[in-house]
Amino acid sequence: MSAPAVAPITRRIEQAQVDRYAVAGRDPNPIHRETPEAYAGPFGRPAAHGMILLAMVSEAMGATFGLAWAESGTFKVRWRAPALPPVGVTASATLRKDVDGVATYDVAVEDEHGETLLTGTTTVRYA
Amino acid sequence: MKTDLQFSDLRKDDTFAEFPLSVTLEEVQAYLESTGESVALWAEHVPPLFLDALVVAELLSQVKIPKGVMHTGQEHESHRAARIGETLTVRMRVASLSERRGVTLAAFEADARDASDAPVATMRISVMVAPDGVTV
Repeated sequence: MSAPAVAPITRRIEQAQVDRYAVAGRDPNPIHRETPEAYAGPFGRPAAHGMILLAMVSEAMGATFGLAWAESGTFKVRWRAPALPPVGVTASATLRKDVDGVATYDVAVEDEHGETLLTGTTTVRYA
Repeated sequence: MKTDLQFSDLRKDDTFAEFPLSVTLEEVQAYLESTGESVALWAEHVPPLFLDALVVAELLSQVKIPKGVMHTGQEHESHRAARIGETLTVRMRVASLSERRGVTLAAFEADARDASDAPVATMRISVMVAPDGVTV
């Protein structure tokens, strides 16, 4: 048995989704919403929560490995640039290592302009 | 134990007050709807990243976060899947804290344990705080 490929996930992030995440994820930081703070902030407009991008990585891993992802998964990521809605983004995972039933993937999220927004690694025990 | 803090009050190895963490099915569904994920896999268990999001939220509630803070990194290790409705206990501490040219880098480590004190998940939250007026 060898580690499977992880299918990429592409999605368009709209401000309405960010607003919903602010409530559901309990992160009301005004830099993520249509607020004066966001427009006066470092990006000049609201930026999506980085956790929304990371959730796409987690979704891709969960779609491939099911509950094993929640039982044994690890991730280590850094955010490289903000996602500024509305924007199309793609989360991908590339198999780097497959040893003794533990698969390691390099993961990334890029926006529709090719800018890298997130990089890191994930592992999961699949066998 | 630290509660109701200013960010500048923090010191390396400070520990926060333990806090309970329990998630309802409705909260999981709202979270998944907000991230765009399917609910199919998560009828009985908590998406691992939702645990991280809730710990970040607790951090934000305990520490007054200054302007210019950025969530720069996140690490997570699942020891088992958390079940919807079970109560976990989370311990969190300041794992690292440094300053260079006015930019503060901080990392917080947290572990969520179940009722038998067995680990369910461990995580590390990295943030960067720029000085007032500086954009990064």
